[in-house]
Amino acid sequence: MSDAAVAAVFLLAQNRLLREALAKILGKKTDIAVVGSCVFSSQALDEVTKVAPDVLVMDSFGGGSVELGFLHEVKSQVPELKIVLIGMDPSEQLFLQAVREGVLGYVLEDASALEVVSTVRSVANGEAICPPKLCATLFHYVARQKSSVPNFRVRLNLGLTNREQQLVLLIGRGLTNKEIASQLQLAEQTVRNHVHRMLRKVGAHDRFAVVEMCRMQGLPI
Amino acid sequence: MGQYAYVCSMERGVEKIRVLVANRPRLMREVVLATISDQPDIEVMGEITDDTDIGQVVEQSKPDFVIIALDHMDQRPALCDDLLARHPEMKILALAPERNSSVFFWSVMNIRSARVESSEAGILGALRGKTQLADAVASVRFQ
Repeated sequence: MSDAAVAAVFLLAQNRLLREALAKILGKKTDIAVVGSCVFSSQALDEVTKVAPDVLVMDSFGGGSVELGFLHEVKSQVPELKIVLIGMDPSEQLFLQAVREGVLGYVLEDASALEVVSTVRSVANGEAICPPKLCATLFHYVARQKSSVPNFRVRLNLGLTNREQQLVLLIGRGLTNKEIASQLQLAEQTVRNHVHRMLRKVGAHDRFAVVEMCRMQGLPI
Repeated sequence: MGQYAYVCSMERGVEKIRVLVANRPRLMREVVLATISDQPDIEVMGEITDDTDIGQVVEQSKPDFVIIALDHMDQRPALCDDLLARHPEMKILALAPERNSSVFFWSVMNIRSARVESSEAGILGALRGKTQLADAVASVRFQ
């Protein structure tokens, strides 16, 4: 935080009433100062970087989607910026994408104003906050990564990347492209592309031949 | 003042504007409450978290205004028709959480509407009857 006791907060929201009321609610807290607010626009990035707040609070009403591209940009320009998303959809995929972009606070659309305040405060103090159900999603996601440690021989001899090896493990368990997509939080088309690329790389005719070739190289399938 | 007359009170100078807050999601409802609850001329009759209760609560509390959620900018909420049919003296403000516009509905023979800015000034102006409705009526079309 720019001051030991006060977190500088910037509000980025489409709805003016939300900006005004949140500024009013947050402004009443002695440990929070609202240093700016604006609507999503082509100038929003400049506005945020110019003020360089400790915490950026962004809303996402209307379908729960959020400007992931904007998050990426703003984090690359102000890497130490802490971001809180409010009004969010409980979608696991959107949540994980937001976490990948460096979001530290994820507040659902049915949250109260008090929860927004408490999330801003916690994030400003270096914590990460999300709903318990999505926290479980995060734990499961990290746990799945453990079972997919890449195999050096598979990479060297077959040229398969870490992600491709991850897919081979799941294909080996009999998962469909759709199930793999859901487990890895990817689009089904992305999985199809990966599989197609793997078949080409190793010269196999079907996905199970790739699994067999990887098993022979020592991949624990 | 436009094409409606307030039953409430500001014109009589004694009573407060009685408002029932029933919009969604929860954060937007609390945002509205934070905006209007400290106004000396506005009395919050209560908040409703479930639309199914609204008819009964309106019947009991007789508000001047009800604030509800607007899911589609070009579609009048069915709730609006039901409430204004039963309480033609009441006005409804419908807020779209992701937009900068809200819509104000009232009934004079049939249901009229006008667009209102979703801001503190816009909402308070609408509740206090300061919205310039005459020009705005034609700008909103509803199915």
